[in-house]
Amino acid sequence: MIEFIVLMGIVVCFSGILALALNFQWGLGGMVNFGLAGFYALGAYSCALLMLKGGFNTFFAALGAMVIVGAVCGLVAFVTLRVTEEDYFAIVTLGVGEMLRLVALNEDWLTKGALGLTGIPRPLGATIPPTSYPYFMLALSIALVIACLWALNRLSRSPFGRVVRAVREDDVVAATLGKNVLWARVRIFAIGGVLIGLAGSLHAFYYQYIDPTQFSTIVIAYAFMAVIAGGRGAHLGTVLGAAVVMLLLEGSRFAKELVPLEADQLAAVRIIIIGVGLILLLIYRPHGFLREYRLQATLKEERPEPQPNTPKEAAT
Amino acid sequence: MLQTAFNGLVTGIIVALPALAVTLLFGVLKFANFAVGAMMTVAAYMVYALNTELDWPMLPATVAAAVAFGFMCILMDLVTFKPLRERGGLTLMVASLGLGFVLENVARLAYGNAARSYAMDLARPFRFMDIRMNREQMIAFVVATLAMAVMYVLLTRMPIGRAMRAVADNPALAQVRGIDSAAIIRWTWFIAGMLLAVGGVLIGMDRAIEPPMGASYLIPVFAAAILGGLGSPLGAFVGALLIGIVSEMATLVIPPNYRIGIPLLVIAAILIFRPQGLFGQAHIRR
Repeated sequence: MIEFIVLMGIVVCFSGILALALNFQWGLGGMVNFGLAGFYALGAYSCALLMLKGGFNTFFAALGAMVIVGAVCGLVAFVTLRVTEEDYFAIVTLGVGEMLRLVALNEDWLTKGALGLTGIPRPLGATIPPTSYPYFMLALSIALVIACLWALNRLSRSPFGRVVRAVREDDVVAATLGKNVLWARVRIFAIGGVLIGLAGSLHAFYYQYIDPTQFSTIVIAYAFMAVIAGGRGAHLGTVLGAAVVMLLLEGSRFAKELVPLEADQLAAVRIIIIGVGLILLLIYRPHGFLREYRLQATLKEERPEPQPNTPKEAAT
Repeated sequence: MLQTAFNGLVTGIIVALPALAVTLLFGVLKFANFAVGAMMTVAAYMVYALNTELDWPMLPATVAAAVAFGFMCILMDLVTFKPLRERGGLTLMVASLGLGFVLENVARLAYGNAARSYAMDLARPFRFMDIRMNREQMIAFVVATLAMAVMYVLLTRMPIGRAMRAVADNPALAQVRGIDSAAIIRWTWFIAGMLLAVGGVLIGMDRAIEPPMGASYLIPVFAAAILGGLGSPLGAFVGALLIGIVSEMATLVIPPNYRIGIPLLVIAAILIFRPQGLFGQAHIRR
């Protein structure tokens, strides 16, 4: 049982980082990412291939995956060069995500297609005995989640964070105030991409085996659910949201004995529940479960702003 | 070559139906509905149920399912989108994603992942000037053309169509002129639902009936609507034909697995060079 809890903890951690990425792009930056599953796959495959074919060690492979996904995301955002409407952007991300999945499925010479990649090394896999490895992995994952939370909190309270929120609320006003909206959007999406790359790498380390079916729509469904449940824009809330969603999802494995359904049907029921939950939360709980936290946080952080001794502010 | 172009034309004219639905919904409701794929899937399965389980012939089954699905769309709007109407396009879009998940998986729950097909007897392909056309393609061609003609008359000649275009163009002005926008929204959903149902059946006939069938058309459908300029019905029709022909012709040069990349490239190109689409008008926001 303790083993199961440790493994669950690891899954919650890397799902949490993925949800944080979506929260930064969509919750904070207002850029919907419907291709999340594809970018996630790109992260996992980049990390695995850098190790298996490129001979990188685990640290640099993960770093490489982060750079690759960040760059691809930045490029995708760059296509919105002239249009700023979210409808177009959403369909572009959906399409790019689908293309990435198709590449993973069809380019056998690189990704082994539907067979997937096996034998992915993991950090310090040789030095730490397999029996205690899950504990190390959990500690590493928790440390990374905390690092991400810290970095994102710093980032969203920085001048750049204010630009990000300004672009989300009204890009025309942000542009009128002299902010470079396009460049801000490229950076928002690229930073999210870096986090997706990290989450993908952890996914590859954890399972040590990846194939295209692991990156299906359920990834998108649960990530959106986590962000909405946690409260858009609230980083800690998102991680908690991810934890709740993952526990419900994984917990539904135990429901197998209770309901007479096939594996396919059970998977369908899960997604139906997520979809219904998503809509209900949007209607009845639009600010998520951590609304109070978020309100306090914004109040605290925005109160010192109008102080007179901030001439630096104007320069940024 | 000619054969490929013909196949593309048929694909395009099938895509035109959902693309028109997307563009109408976008015009009146101002959000991109990502549930259209799953909506087509559900409608296709409804016809499948009538056709194979109750032994109805295809035509009455399709008509009945289209009308029923029109009402279902009104209902779905009431439950899902109406409470969110004031929250902006982004929220509605995410809600439509959620609705799409629900619909696709209801179909999966009911009929499983296996690909199915309608109970129709096989017919010999028909030849004309070296082009092989099978019966499904001809049915698709005739039905879709007919549907587009009806839509054209509806949008240009009938009061309801004019009212829809008025609401799409300027909701406030339409309201001042005494147009009941709630009724127009219901009508738009009903018409879009019928278009999606017919589109779903044609796709099911052309390919196979399976849960991801509708979602796999999302990108070409949106590409067609964007190419024509979101909100422009004529644009959606022309855009769909172009997308169909171009992506089918492209399979002569690129691997067919990556067919979906063509509409994506088209979208990227439009966004960079002509964001308002072929038929849309450039407008300044606010």
